Parts: sequence; structure tokens; C-alpha cells
Amino acid sequence: MTTVSHASRASRALRLAFHGGGLSYRALFNWTTPPMFIGTLLVGPLFQIFFFVHVGRSLHVADDRFYLLGNAVLATSMPCVYGAIMAVANERRFGTLGAVLLSPRSRGLIWGGRVLPYAVNGLAVMTFMMLVGALVLGLTLPPSTLLGLAQVFVVAAMSCALFGLALGALAVRIRDVYVISNAAFTLLILFSGANLPPESMPGWMNAIGSFLPLHHAIEALRALFAGASFGEVWSALVLEVAVALGYAALAYGLLRFFEWRSRANAALDVM
Amino acid sequence: MTTDLAIEAENLARSYRTRTGWLRPQRKTIEAVRGVHLAVGRGELFGLLGPNGAGKTTTIKMLNTLLLPTSGTARILGYDVARDALEVRRRIGYVFGGDRGLYERLSALDNLRYFAELYGVEPREQLPRIQELLETVGLSGREKERVEGYSRGMRQKLHIARGLLHRPQVLFLDEPSIGVDPAAARELRRVVADLVAGGTTVLLTTHYMAEADELCDRIAVIASGTLRAEGTPAELKDRVRKLDVLEVEVHDAVGPEHLQRLRDTAGIEQATVETSGTVDVVTVHARPSHGTHAAVLAALADLRTGKVTTREPTLEDAYLSIINGTTTGSA
Ligand SMILES: Nc1ncnc2c1ncn2[C@@H]1O[C@H](COP(=O)(O)OP(=O)(O)O)[C@@H](O)[C@H]1O
Ligand SMILES: [Mg+2]
Repeated sequence: MTTVSHASRASRALRLAFHGGGLSYRALFNWTTPPMFIGTLLVGPLFQIFFFVHVGRSLHVADDRFYLLGNAVLATSMPCVYGAIMAVANERRFGTLGAVLLSPRSRGLIWGGRVLPYAVNGLAVMTFMMLVGALVLGLTLPPSTLLGLAQVFVVAAMSCALFGLALGALAVRIRDVYVISNAAFTLLILFSGANLPPESMPGWMNAIGSFLPLHHAIEALRALFAGASFGEVWSALVLEVAVALGYAALAYGLLRFFEWRSRANAALDVM
Repeated sequence: MTTDLAIEAENLARSYRTRTGWLRPQRKTIEAVRGVHLAVGRGELFGLLGPNGAGKTTTIKMLNTLLLPTSGTARILGYDVARDALEVRRRIGYVFGGDRGLYERLSALDNLRYFAELYGVEPREQLPRIQELLETVGLSGREKERVEGYSRGMRQKLHIARGLLHRPQVLFLDEPSIGVDPAAARELRRVVADLVAGGTTVLLTTHYMAEADELCDRIAVIASGTLRAEGTPAELKDRVRKLDVLEVEVHDAVGPEHLQRLRDTAGIEQATVETSGTVDVVTVHARPSHGTHAAVLAALADLRTGKVTTREPTLEDAYLSIINGTTTGSA
């Protein structure tokens, strides 16, 4: 193998992941129309922030910043969980799974590439929540936090999208996908620590939360705003990365397993 | 690997296990394909002809690696479909009939761009190849429109363009003309004929006799998962050439007892009925004899009969008699 062919193989792999991933986003995401995008991905989560801030103020549980940080990160679950599920489950709706599985190319690149646009979408949503939320609530974003903020957002978006992909893999077999996505969404609201201070959650809730995406990212973000060092922030982020890798492995394993089963058992609707 | 054969199958079989009901599940095994032998040469256009549920799609899905055979083996260009699936996939294209199987929200162009990526078309070759295929199938000028607005015929053209993106050496066409209007079906046959002229091996399934007759070099007739006959269209027609075909218009409803009475008549091999408009048309295959005409009318004596015509057997007659088991074995 020459370096030239290594380089061209790498560029072809990147192209499949990014170019292919981008096309698949437009093909499979139900919420790319402006009303759906603005309503479901932006306005809905923004009101969620304001709702919890209001609850927090009335019950004196925690301050505005607590809810803004938690719910801004949680907002990434709308595009990432629902989107990544659609990225797999909608193949069933269009009857395209057979044509996709006939591809001789790497499953890791095909399915992994599908996650990227949702992660980017999640980043945009979190940024929007953070900016508009801070503006409305009159909170400041010190320049010293911006670099850390970007790191937390990238990790949170990837982690949540890979979690969605693992659920999407299940949706290949299970007909009622939205049961899964709604349940996942509820789990994240309850266990991520976005709306309940981890110190006031019982141990078992924290234990469940630590295996879900976003839990450690939210922890890292709060540490960042509390003035912790990069080292402390990253000790939480490393755990989030580990959770993300776990879901990536699970998603890959499930997708390969179902592909193999479909050949043996005609279990999938592959035309 | 070198072999003269593009498609080989030995004793290929596939069963499906189905389960219905949750509390007391009923398990059933359907033998969809039961021991099929195929040998298709390179550059050949081979037709698999059979009624709905005969096992055509199941056969194709085993050959294109989407389904594993339950028993038997198959090779594409020498590569085993079960063990060398990747090598097979690089060399085959698959086109299926029906409305589904396309990304509705994308344009035809973007559908093709995505599958060009998936099927490993070299990046710099992708756009020229897509333009060329849009031209070939006759979608140029409409490629920027979303597929959701496409007619049945346009979708079929797009299916074909997708199947050809990576210049497959072997193309599987599963009922490509199902539900397509006659003009589009003719165009489709032209595209297939051009492909074969260019050296592509094509395996086509259809339940339209005329299509198989016009296009295929060789035809295998499949029914209930087994091959009933194989040969050139002319050879298949020869099996019934020795028979006369009589068509009788009947202005009353023809019942199963009439068909049975006909089949029991000496010299009659086959009797079927088809309703066309307000009349039933009874088709009878009989060994040539002077008494046939009178015997047929006698069997239908209690019905109001109309015009009686005698004609040359067509491929459809051959097909019907093969499916109904009156002539069996290989040509
Ligand atoms: N996924 C499946 N599960 C159970 N039975 C199936 C499945 N696919 C096809 N069959 C059955 O197998 C038989 C052959 O089907 P098929 O190969 O689709 O026939 P054709 O394409 O000739 O119409 C039919 O009886 C059909 O009902
Ligand atoms: Mg079929």
C-alpha cells in the first residue's frame, strides 16, 4: 500500500461519513421543515427552560443558572435522540433498508456518518438555548467559560446522538419506535440531573443517570460555571466520553446483529 | 476466479418460519423455494417466469445476498452468495418493482448521489455517471424534483438507474414492469435490451408472458418453489405447438363443473376460464382432432355459447399448461 492509496482510502471513508451522512439527514429526518424545526427543536425546549426556572424560583430549589445550564444541554436530546432514531427507523418507512444493506461498504462509516448531522444540529440547538436563555434571564456568559462550553457541547451532542443510534437500531426490529424515543426522552428529563440537583437525588437515580448520556456533561458544565479547573471539568467529561463510546459499541453491535439475523431469518423488512 | 457462468444455483432452497398470535403462537413453515437449479451464462438475459407467490423474489434475494439459503448453494461469477457476500455485492445490481424503496423527500439526483456513495462509485466519477444514467433511463430534466411527486413509471426508472450506478456485471430485475404503463414498459424493455447488448448479464422475473417472450434468451418457469420447465421461448412454445387452442365465448357464468367436464373429455388437455367484460372466455388446449369442436360445445351445452375461435398456441398457453402441470420436464 502506498501513502497515496492510504490517503485516497481515508478521503473516501470521510466522504462516505460526511457527504453520505448529510444526504441521509435530509432523506430521513422528519423535522427539517421550518415549522417543525423551529417549533419542536427551538421554541419547545426554550419554554422548557423558562418553565423549570419558574418552578425553581417558586419552590426555591435552585437558581436560574442551574436550570439554564441543565436544560440547554438537555435540549440536544430532541434532535439527537429523535433524529438518530429516525435515521435508522425511517428506512423501514421508505422500504430502503434492502438497498442500503446491499452496499459493500463499512457499516461503521454508513451508520456512524448518519449520526454526525444530528450532533451538529444538537450543537446548534444548545448554542441557541444558551444564548437566548442567558439573554432573557439576564445571565452573563464570561469569556473564560466559552472554550469549555464548546467542549462540553460537542461531547454532549455526540454522546446523545450515539445513544439515539443505539435506540434506532432497536427500532429496526420494533415497530412502534416512538414508544422507545418517548421513554428515552422521559428517562433523560428525570435522570440526567438537568432539573434535579444530583445531591438531592437518591443514589439509585444518580446510578441510572450515570449510564445515560448528558448526565456527566451537565455535571461538567456546572463545574465549569462554578469556576472549577479544566482538570475537574474534564474528569466529568471523560465519563461522558466513556458513556458515548459504550453506546457507539452497542449501536454497532445491534446493527450488525440485526443485519446478520435478517439474512438468516428474513426478520427485516428489506424488500 | 474464472467461470463461464454468471449465475449458478444448485438445489437452492429457502423456507420461512412465521409466527402469528401472542398468547398461543401458531408456528408455520413455508417452503418458498424448493431445490432450484440455475445456470445462466455471462451476457445472457434469463427470465424467471411464474405466478405470484411462486418464489421468484425469494430466489433473487438469495442470489443477491439479502437472504441466506436454507439449503443448497449459489454462486455469482464464481463467488458464493453465503460466504463471499461482499464480493458478490460489488458485482451485482438489484432492481425491484413497486412504489417503495426510494427516499421520498430527496430529489432523484440526491437519491442517486447517496447510493453512489453507498455502492462505492469513485467520487470524481459520481456526477458524470449519474448524468449518464439519468439520460439512459429518461429522467434528465426531472432529476431535481422530489421523488414523492414521481409517477409509478418515473420511480421505476429511478430504481433502475440506482441499480446500475456501480456498473454491475450481473443485474437482478424483480418484476420491473409491475404497474407501469405500456409506453414506460416498452422503454424499460429497451433499456434492458441495451444493457444486455453491452454485455451485462440480466436475470429478470416477471409474470408477464409477453415481456419474457420479447426479451429473454432463455426462460425458466417456476411455480410453488420449483422449476417446471426451462428453455428458449420458442422451445417452450413448441411444447404446445402440437395442440389446438380453442376459445369459446360464453354468456353465462362458467362453473368448476364445466371445466371438469371439459378436462374429462378425451383429447382435451387443459381448460381454463377468464372473465372479460360481460362474457366468460373458455380456453381449451386439445390434441388436433375433428371431433374437438363438437365435444367442447357438448360439454358446455347448458350454457349460452357465442363465438368459437381456433388459434396458434402462444407462450402464454405454454406457460399455463406448464403451471397447471400438463407438460413437465425440461425442454
Ligand atoms: N418474509 C416472508 N415471511 C414469510 N413468508 C414469506 C416471506 N416472503 C415471502 N414469503 C412467502 O413465500 C412464498 C414465495 O414468495 P415470493 O418469493 O415473494 O414469490 P414471488 O416473488 O414469486 O411472488 C409466498 O408464499 C410468500 O407468501
Ligand atoms: Mg415477487
